[in-house]
Amino acid sequence: MANGHVTPSHLPAPSGDLSTTTPVPSLHEMKSQWHRTGAMLTRRRWGLVLTGLLLVSVGVIALCSQFGAVSVQLADVLAVLRHVLTTGSLDVSSLGTAGVIFLQVRLPRVLMGFLVGGALAAVGVTLQALLRNPLADPYVLGVSSGAALGASLAMLLGIGTTVMLLPLLPLFGFIGGLLALVLIYRLAQSQGRLPIYSLLLAGVILNAILTALIMFITSIMEPNRSAGLMAWLMGSLTAPGYPALAVIVIYVAFVSAVLMHKAQVLNVLTQGEETARSLGIDTERVKKQLYALTALITGAVVSVSGMIGFVGMVVPHAVRMMIGSDHRLLLPASALVGGMFLVVSDTIARTIFAPAEIPVGIVTALAGGPFFLYLLLWRKDRMI
Amino acid sequence: MKRRQQGILTGMPFMAHVSSRSFVDDAGRRIYLAKTPSRIISLAPSVTEMLFAIGAGAQVVGVTQFCDYPPEATQRAKLGYGNPNVETLVALQPDLIVAPQEYLKPDLIGKLEQLKIPVFILADRMVEDVFSHIQTFGRMLDHSTEATALGMDLRQQIARIKTRTQGAAPVRVLYVLNSEPLITVGPGSYIDQLIGLAGGINVAAKSATAYPRLSMEVVLHENPDVLLFPVGTAEGISESEQQAWRKWSTLTAVKRNNLRQIPADLLNRPGPRIGKALELLADLFHPSATSLPSESP
Repeated sequence: MANGHVTPSHLPAPSGDLSTTTPVPSLHEMKSQWHRTGAMLTRRRWGLVLTGLLLVSVGVIALCSQFGAVSVQLADVLAVLRHVLTTGSLDVSSLGTAGVIFLQVRLPRVLMGFLVGGALAAVGVTLQALLRNPLADPYVLGVSSGAALGASLAMLLGIGTTVMLLPLLPLFGFIGGLLALVLIYRLAQSQGRLPIYSLLLAGVILNAILTALIMFITSIMEPNRSAGLMAWLMGSLTAPGYPALAVIVIYVAFVSAVLMHKAQVLNVLTQGEETARSLGIDTERVKKQLYALTALITGAVVSVSGMIGFVGMVVPHAVRMMIGSDHRLLLPASALVGGMFLVVSDTIARTIFAPAEIPVGIVTALAGGPFFLYLLLWRKDRMI
Repeated sequence: MKRRQQGILTGMPFMAHVSSRSFVDDAGRRIYLAKTPSRIISLAPSVTEMLFAIGAGAQVVGVTQFCDYPPEATQRAKLGYGNPNVETLVALQPDLIVAPQEYLKPDLIGKLEQLKIPVFILADRMVEDVFSHIQTFGRMLDHSTEATALGMDLRQQIARIKTRTQGAAPVRVLYVLNSEPLITVGPGSYIDQLIGLAGGINVAAKSATAYPRLSMEVVLHENPDVLLFPVGTAEGISESEQQAWRKWSTLTAVKRNNLRQIPADLLNRPGPRIGKALELLADLFHPSATSLPSESP
């Protein structure tokens, strides 16, 4: 395993009563130990790094929302903001074209990009720790393919109508993702456990099957409709309404909070499941919770943005190489950097060939890939 | 090399005679037809429509599953679209295959060449190409008279529509090929040409590609008067799609409730129904010009 930490092979296997026989420190002791070895992570450093990143994020969001296919003058932007602040109304008809473009198209899209990128990066960090595999990303468990298949089915059946005002396409995507998750659990589970290798293997195979089904669907669709499906699958950020954006905010905030709460456990899990179990962590339960969370967030993200690759894999690595692998800092920092990365990528995607756009997944791969390789050459020693 | 093989195959070693039966397709390939083809396979709905329109329908033995016009075409043997089965194809014993380049894989062309089945490839699919293709098919299939008549008829229809829409104020149009993500047609596409001929201005005219993903910002900025949705035969514009568009209430098209649908196959097929397509478009763009032609400025 490409693991920078000491492999805990010297530790005795947990045998019955932990408290009397083993010399392994308790989780609490390990925590305080991490706190003491201040070079790793102090409260001050945690605060400094995150405050810095947060400020940069706000700057990036503000800067990137100045660029678009149509140029909107800064003065217009300020006028619109003043108008909104004074009247408190986001009503489309009162904003004027520049206002609508800025407030209803560009800003929600930039914010959506930030949320999607942040969620993908946070999920990437979690899965890399859980699977102890540097290649893990939100798409490895077949959840995204499941979501994509659900969405493809919705398009094939020509479902354009709504159920209780919910567009069915994201809903189908979400259900597809969840079903894929349930299926993969059943496939990988043996004797109440969830071994990492069978999970990875089942994920890869399920991915292949689901991808084949998607290709089957595109091949039997009318060519002009399958073009739309392919474009959707390639990943795209579009301008959501503010209610939809609020739903995603709540969703991402909730999942991030839970993940942050589990950051310490992720630290232990990267040391190996044996270690974690010996520290009294119910690894199976924690793993199940975390997989379910990542699947939920992946399904949600895929259903609103299609498949945007590379953010979940590259960003956690890049951040880890720069600030170390303590998940209490790595997780929020990756989320912020992932958000910024997607916002910048999407700004390039929507301006470089304006008035036309290119799929943002192309930009994330072309920008993220070489940068990752550069980091790899620069700091070979700090992988994982 | 090809010349000689064809000459020997057909028992006509007189190249001077053969050359009058030689045709160059859009891919620049030269094919020789010693005698008039009587078993034709059409691998595109637009081709099927053209062949039937010049009275060569009886010579057509195979079509794609999407060839639904004219209705007689549905009674021909069906081959896949884009990925036809070579065995089914050969079993029909065709003496000519007409196929669009965009969905034809190179290895299939190679295979058919190897089997000595002439393949005529259509690559240029703009308005002018409809006329040249109809002419070529007429010459190729001994239906020149009908082809010429059809060509003239279509030109007259186009001219009529042009005069009808000439005086009217130009209408800004967004063609919504796909809503999420927004894909439309740009310069260099057949549909963009049709919109222009019918007196519309494509709001995506500045895009560099024929089928761009258009930014919503541009749509709001360009402010189209009409949103045009291509739909299948039995369906309309879906409720959720309409709702999603109506949220942009500053658009003139939304204010005037100009979310219009048009049968997708009319616009997607560069073929003999071009006149019909243009008429429909002109009616949508200039409804007043149709009903009360005397009142137009």
